[in-house]
Amino acid sequence: MSTITALIALLFFPGGLVILLAGMAYEWADRKLVARFQNRIGPRWFQPLADNVKLLAKEEVVPEGVHRGLFIALPVIALSGALTAVLYVPVFGLAPASSFGGDLIVTIYLLSLLTLCTGLAGANTLNRFSLVGATRTLTQMFSYEAPFLLALLGPALAAGSWRISTIADYGADNLLILVQPIGFIVAMIGLMGKLELPPFDAPEAETEIVAGALTEYSGRGLALFHLGKGVELIVGLTLIAAFYLGGVANPIAFFAKTLGLLVVLAGLQSLLARLRIDQTVGLWWRYGAILGLVQFLVLIAWEGLVA
Amino acid sequence: MATEKFVIPIGPQHPALKEPGHFEFDVDGEVVKGASVRLGYVHRGIEKGAETRNYVQAAYLVERICGICSHVHATAFSLGVERLAGVEAPPRAQAIRQIVAELERIHSHMLWVGVAAHEAGFDTLFMYSWRDRETVMNLLEGITGNRVNYSANVLGGVKCDIGPEQAEMIRTGLAFLEERTQHYLEVVSTDAMFLRRTRGIGIMTRDDAERLGVVGPTARASGVPRDVRVDSPYLLYHEHPVELVTEEAGDLEARFKVRVRELFESYRVIRELLDALPEGDLTTRIPRRIKPAETISRVEAPRGELFYFIKSNGTDTAERVKVRTPTLPNMASVVVTSVGHQLADVPMILAGIDPCFSCNDRMTVVRRDGDKEVWTWEQLRQYGIECYR
Repeated sequence: MSTITALIALLFFPGGLVILLAGMAYEWADRKLVARFQNRIGPRWFQPLADNVKLLAKEEVVPEGVHRGLFIALPVIALSGALTAVLYVPVFGLAPASSFGGDLIVTIYLLSLLTLCTGLAGANTLNRFSLVGATRTLTQMFSYEAPFLLALLGPALAAGSWRISTIADYGADNLLILVQPIGFIVAMIGLMGKLELPPFDAPEAETEIVAGALTEYSGRGLALFHLGKGVELIVGLTLIAAFYLGGVANPIAFFAKTLGLLVVLAGLQSLLARLRIDQTVGLWWRYGAILGLVQFLVLIAWEGLVA
Repeated sequence: MATEKFVIPIGPQHPALKEPGHFEFDVDGEVVKGASVRLGYVHRGIEKGAETRNYVQAAYLVERICGICSHVHATAFSLGVERLAGVEAPPRAQAIRQIVAELERIHSHMLWVGVAAHEAGFDTLFMYSWRDRETVMNLLEGITGNRVNYSANVLGGVKCDIGPEQAEMIRTGLAFLEERTQHYLEVVSTDAMFLRRTRGIGIMTRDDAERLGVVGPTARASGVPRDVRVDSPYLLYHEHPVELVTEEAGDLEARFKVRVRELFESYRVIRELLDALPEGDLTTRIPRRIKPAETISRVEAPRGELFYFIKSNGTDTAERVKVRTPTLPNMASVVVTSVGHQLADVPMILAGIDPCFSCNDRMTVVRRDGDKEVWTWEQLRQYGIECYR
């Protein structure tokens, strides 16, 4: 019986098929919102689905000069990393499918896997745009990863646990956005950096380096990377909503809070001009990391003095 | 290994370029160390084409040199041919030419603001400026019936009149545009994130600008007071002058500011002309055959000085038509100013001169000593086919 439940959790709900569809729905919502903010019409509701179906059905061209196995495996690893992360977070307002002490760290690293795979995928090809894109992707990863981690560790420290479900329970009782506003802001902007959304889209700036690290990808590989990004969007929003916005105890709270965050993300995307990669790094290490650390130190001091 | 260059090719096909051109940037990490440019992918042989058609047909042809500043080409050509023929267009025609030219400048500059913002990844400004640009496109359509190749000019005058109703329409449109332009000026000079991408980027000093011979808003952004409308007024620019708009900084921010501020001058001049539109005919008669002579004709296109040389030979066809579009003198500045900047700034620096590749592409055959051969049309055609095979 438990095997069947586990398989369902892995392949259908909450992991697997449903989260892929939900990822595409969120991607659509994001695109539509940005489009409306920019005075455009925007895509129809099934556009991401249509894109992915079309890409999945297409031939995957493996360019010359790449490590063939790596080229094919990287998108699969990236997507499976994102899908595995789903199992540990309370998506759709339900309890996580699986949980153990320290799953927060595992989740964060699973989320980074997508970025890492994108970087490796770019570095694997001979394409010059891909190489520059890969360098930028990895540079960007090294700049936002530490502050993002610190921002998520703040609630963990307050809750006194590394287990996501425990932190989420703590977050449901305490509105942490009021207590740790800096952490919330850093986490939100960190998520934008992670997903390479404007203004942090230097790694895939089309006017400079075409499609960045994924320039050589077509067909299935590209679709898998896109799907992975959609899943990561949901996981990231869920984590922030669960930790900072008073928890996602039921589906209504989940959708209301994550979509609310998505509106903020879309607003920021349309408001800001793209940062250069050196400016991104400067921003993160000069302000993001320092702010994250300050928040962290305040927390530790508070815990030490009061508790 | 260390001496090997890592070259980033931009073009001939690249998302940053709307037309084909080929740029090679040697980069060290993200920093550009050297740049080179190769043009000529969209040579169309229009000069030669203009020499095989009569003046009326050639006027139609030269209007198609540029898809954005089509009217100034026709104006420059008409002014040149009219001077050769010894006639002058009636004042009302000249006023209408000037109104259409300024409307065209508005449409071109707004288009440029959008394109340059897009290169910086600021798509919201791109979408909004292009939405508002539709207003001026509609005005142009309302006057001439066309959105792009307006065909407002005929040799010896203009085709379309501006009645009181159209004047009212233009005034309403301009009021809206002026309000929006005020907003864009605020955005390009105060938006902190956008200024990080424009302030101090692609600086061209006044000396450099003089040395490279740049023209138009690119030169004016470096403090060079160079504007044909002011330096040698044509049409009615001596009666209704525009004020020279310059900025001293020479960076991308200055190029944005110059172009946006020029829009206000255009609005003012158009209103002035509408208020004082001279009465009279729209056209004057012009002879079909023009006695042998040669002339030059200079006008200020939205991108800078547009230069025409026309030589007549007594028939109804020009002996030689030579066009120099403003992109040609400006192009070299890209190669100079992009060195030392980040790769991410290159598309913006490139867009900063508002390049128009197909307007600019020429073929020149240099005849060396003892080389008596004159190329025929057939040979040129064959050469073109071979060259791009």
